[in-house]
Amino acid sequence: MSVFVDIAPDESHVDSPRERTPAHRWRGRLTRAALPVLSVVVFGVGWQLVAAAGLWNQTFVPYPSTVWKAFVDVSTTHDGTRGYAGYLLWEHLYMTLRRVLVGVVIGVGLGVALGLVMGSVGWVRSVLEPWLTFLRALPPLAYFFLLVIWLGIDEAPKITLLALAALPPAAVATTAAVVAAPVGLTEAARALGATRLQVVRDVVVPSALPETFTGIRLAVGMAYSSVVAAELFNGIPGIGGLVKDASNYNNTPVVLVGIFAIGFSGLIIDGLLRAVERRAVPWRGKI
Amino acid sequence: MKLKALVTAAVVATLALAGCSVDHSGQDASKPTIRIGYQSFPSGDLIVKNNKWLEQALPDYNIKWTKFDSGADVNTAFIAKELDFGALGSSPVARGLSAPLNIPYKIAFVLDVAGDNEALVARNGSGVNTIADLKGKRVGTPFASTAHYSLLAALAQNNLSANDVQLVDLQPQAILAAWDRGDVDAAYTWLPTLDDLRKTGKDLITSRQLAKDGKPTLDLSAVADDFANAHPEVVDVWRKQEARALTTIKDDPAAAAKAIAAEIGLDPKDVEGQLKQGVYLTPDQVSSAEWLGSDGKPGNIAANLESASQFLAEQKQIPAAAPLKTFQDAIYTKGLPGALSQ
Repeated sequence: MSVFVDIAPDESHVDSPRERTPAHRWRGRLTRAALPVLSVVVFGVGWQLVAAAGLWNQTFVPYPSTVWKAFVDVSTTHDGTRGYAGYLLWEHLYMTLRRVLVGVVIGVGLGVALGLVMGSVGWVRSVLEPWLTFLRALPPLAYFFLLVIWLGIDEAPKITLLALAALPPAAVATTAAVVAAPVGLTEAARALGATRLQVVRDVVVPSALPETFTGIRLAVGMAYSSVVAAELFNGIPGIGGLVKDASNYNNTPVVLVGIFAIGFSGLIIDGLLRAVERRAVPWRGKI
Repeated sequence: MKLKALVTAAVVATLALAGCSVDHSGQDASKPTIRIGYQSFPSGDLIVKNNKWLEQALPDYNIKWTKFDSGADVNTAFIAKELDFGALGSSPVARGLSAPLNIPYKIAFVLDVAGDNEALVARNGSGVNTIADLKGKRVGTPFASTAHYSLLAALAQNNLSANDVQLVDLQPQAILAAWDRGDVDAAYTWLPTLDDLRKTGKDLITSRQLAKDGKPTLDLSAVADDFANAHPEVVDVWRKQEARALTTIKDDPAAAAKAIAAEIGLDPKDVEGQLKQGVYLTPDQVSSAEWLGSDGKPGNIAANLESASQFLAEQKQIPAAAPLKTFQDAIYTKGLPGALSQ
């Protein structure tokens, strides 16, 4: 999943008046729709050519058709075998998404709460910031084994790992956003007689929300990219466990199917989050 | 101005760091390099490596030892043409020689045969006393390993399939953690984890018994076809050193244990105990018809690998088993049995 953040301003701002004629608009839309499709087609053709050239072993660069066959095999029951390791592709994906959802809800919830407190209370920020930075610097693989010793091999260590991956970005973004709340607005609210709590609720939180959303998108990306690490032990069913198991058997087509499944579901999730963001904070960039 | 200085500093630092990585392997660029992949199970490889026998016997070559954690990784390295010699279990070898991998390598040595050093252990208090009791229980094993193969073979002996038990993919350290917490009822794994499990559990079957029943698992050494064709004399030297290591294990187990202990960071006493539990052949046995066989007459290992390949196909781990001929052709018998004598 992408962890970069779309910083392009709204289309309405960039469109120059000249391009507003209907013909131009249609051409623009067509280009926007056609370019991604074209890039996928070019990628597919290039892949087929590279595979057919035979420069590399089939184990490294399998044909697109081999990967497609693996996709069909993993998604269906064929000669008595159900999908991969007894589970269909959507079941692997569902289990992973469930873990990610629970982990992200816990991680983001704690992270945003922490960020609000850290942004509003100076000494809390001084106390917690080093810990947060410490946690942010750790690769999940480094501490996952400890989670297994402490929490066992079932869902608990996996969800904890995903929550720990999601917490820092959400907390850091929220802290920064709260600190950056416009002084003019908070002082105006205080001057009008608002209590400290009212200022936080009506001024600080709304002005911090756009950036918090950015943090949440980053957090979901971090959690999603930790999925294979989280499912290293006893990860089946799960898309990360599938990738790890297939690579143990040098089964590249299935590895690629798993990678595509993770990538595409990541794109969809990010798209959904952006749609929610547009609805929830229409005032982004306007205060 | 400031930005320019920063960029310059970054470039200089990158160049400086690129030039000074930490490397103690003592490679000499003027000599060709032999690349050897080894694993940390106790074997002759570690004795040869620790005593620098190959470096002494082949002064005209660099020897580059690389440690691998599993046979799957060794297979990957062979496919990438990054290895000349590699140590791996019989189950990864059977997979590597079958379609779709068809790795061009030959079996040139038998490092050890799994004995009591790999076993299926049931945890005290889990209520499991026989393999048949495992039905519906959770059993941990590292997937794609020889232990995984042995576990499936042991279950099949008792008319159980992989679906009758809950198989859990765990590496040995994780098995120990899960065991202590009571998360698994039984585990098929190897030393040294196995000894810790035995303190609070009991053996249901060991790989020694499975070998008697016709399902042996072995640790083998493979040599890449290209390398064996180009440098048969190096393969001969290497086999002699491996044979010397086997003789050391038999005649002077204390010295063997000391060398192995230095490589894997264990106590020599523990290693000596581990060596007693494995089955280490003598050089004569290695070149006998039961194992590698002699020049032009590949031994029984081909049949073992064929049966492993059939088993993997039944378990849907490979699409189809390879024929016996494939495995017979993949045994490096050139100059055997004479090539192993000192």
